[in-house]
Amino acid sequence: MSHIRTSVGTIWHRWCENAEKSPDSVAIVHWKAGETPRRWTWGELISTAELYSVVLTNSGIEKGDVCAIIAKHNSLIYPVYLGCVCAGAIPAILAYPNPRLHPEKFREGIEGMGRRSGLDWILTERAIEGVLQPLLGGSRSTIRGLQFPFEWNACQEAAGANVPRGAVHAMRDSDPLLLQHSSGTTGLQKPVLLSHRAVLEHVTQYGNFLAVSQGDKVVSWLPLYHDMGLIAAFHLPMALGITTIQIDPFEWVLTPSLLLQVISEERATITWLPNFAFSMMADKIQEEDLEGVTLDSCRMVINCSEPVRYRDQEKFFTRFAPRGFKREALSSSYAMAETTFAVTQTPPGREPTTLAVDPQALSRGMARPVTDRSAVKVCVSSGELIPGCRIRIADDEFNDLEEGHVGEVLIKSSSMFDGYRNYPEKTAAAIRDGWYLSGDYGFRHGSEYYIIGRKKDVVIIAGNNIYPEDVEAAMHDLDGVIPGRVVAFGEEDAEVGTERLSIVAETTLTDEPERRQLRMAIIKAGMGIDVSITNVYLVPPRFLVKSSAGKLSRSANKERVLRLRDQFNMTIQSVELR
Amino acid sequence: MISQELKTVILGALKLDEWELTDATVAAEVPGWDSLSHVNVVLAVEKHFGVRFKGAEVLRLKDVGDLQRLVDSKLAQQR
Repeated sequence: MSHIRTSVGTIWHRWCENAEKSPDSVAIVHWKAGETPRRWTWGELISTAELYSVVLTNSGIEKGDVCAIIAKHNSLIYPVYLGCVCAGAIPAILAYPNPRLHPEKFREGIEGMGRRSGLDWILTERAIEGVLQPLLGGSRSTIRGLQFPFEWNACQEAAGANVPRGAVHAMRDSDPLLLQHSSGTTGLQKPVLLSHRAVLEHVTQYGNFLAVSQGDKVVSWLPLYHDMGLIAAFHLPMALGITTIQIDPFEWVLTPSLLLQVISEERATITWLPNFAFSMMADKIQEEDLEGVTLDSCRMVINCSEPVRYRDQEKFFTRFAPRGFKREALSSSYAMAETTFAVTQTPPGREPTTLAVDPQALSRGMARPVTDRSAVKVCVSSGELIPGCRIRIADDEFNDLEEGHVGEVLIKSSSMFDGYRNYPEKTAAAIRDGWYLSGDYGFRHGSEYYIIGRKKDVVIIAGNNIYPEDVEAAMHDLDGVIPGRVVAFGEEDAEVGTERLSIVAETTLTDEPERRQLRMAIIKAGMGIDVSITNVYLVPPRFLVKSSAGKLSRSANKERVLRLRDQFNMTIQSVELR
Repeated sequence: MISQELKTVILGALKLDEWELTDATVAAEVPGWDSLSHVNVVLAVEKHFGVRFKGAEVLRLKDVGDLQRLVDSKLAQQR
């Protein structure tokens, strides 16, 4: 098998090269349960993208315009995305509004993004036109119009008979290619702008490290608004000219066996998953749903975007080894949008290295290996540096720490972002002397990097970043909660293999029915911004402690609440701290 | 019409004391019934009623009424 070696140019030209070389090869398989998969050949995909480029240009979209794409799992989303790129516009795929998210909150989120990203257009489905329409023309809105490119017949008509091949605007590899947004609901999202060069260079380096060959097929249920879904599972295969199979994220979460069925049917070789998916598939899939499924084609199932948990990887292997899943197909990676994607990765052909360490020493910042595995913490490596990336492990004063010492992970990458778009203060806080301050804690052991915690308060639920300040803001106006006296934090849920969101709120209420109502009101307020709150702790006034900076400390209050809960052996659902 | 038995199983899986469930209730309206917990609800219903749903059947469920009808049809097949 020959590995792919590529030259640097623009992403669009790379796609065109792939189409010219193999017009009848399948670029994308759009998978929808119960339907015949839609197989986009390279030839079809590029010609449809060119048609879209004409339609978008004719409708007023210009080079450099930011186009939000908001759609469900739709087979036309790929040529629409490519069409934006062809037209010189900057696509930004955003999450489709969840029914539990209040329309006003959804619009606030878009407006917040727009103020930073300068969203110019929204390309969407007619079904949510009513939700989006109020965004047009408002004094706070940057959005110039809604477009409905998923109405295929109208688009064909609009394009007219002659779609000139190569109707592509002049573009350079330094031009912006795409915009990604961190999670968040109230305009706190940080827009990451990536150039053609950054993305192409990254997926080339990363693909080489993964030893990607023409025999590989990527499969993914990850949403395309997530960096792992967009860069790893979409841009990487598209740039390297291998097939990517795209499953509906919504369908996968309802029937997790779907991924394994697709791997088996399509003989897929590589996929990326957040840790909770390993746990969920190992625990929740029933044998009857795996009839005829074989997983021997899997070369790499890469655990990424949540802390890698040893127990979940092991139970995944144990569960699926009888189906042909190989131990060396277990893999892990450490990645973030700010470096385009991956920083470290398990080399292909072997499982992630593990290190048994003394948990007491680890809590004091030392990863001290121990041989007795009975009372240890088993850390799973996120792999070795991929080419083009460097890591420093540093203390709070920015001094380098030695091997085995826990510190903040600082990163330099040849495909690093240029800063958050229109957000100089956040950019300045995130980069120091050219090093990206990841906010993650980790240590190095040999050539392997272990990520073990976070300096930032962000909560990662099923691979999605939730910002506590968003959640706390949604609670402040609730009757019964003392204004400003709410803290949100993440609690590890070993059963699910991810974090769950907890709220601790001060209240003067003492009557139990009223307190029950308040707990429900807090959960509902979470639903209104599309976050699920699992635990609510109601505490008396002046319970919450502040940090030295005078702000409520999330980490100190988390530690205090959980200690009291454990001390009094209270169940999570009924805990009352007085 | 949602049976008290199905309601109890769903609320138990979601660890809720009480919540009104009707035929037209959709998961997004119920606290804690998110994409991560949906699979737990389905497994709890299967276990309690001694039935098995196919993946395609689960994907077709739009509301609690659909779930009740699916349970009823499975139980009828067993008789």
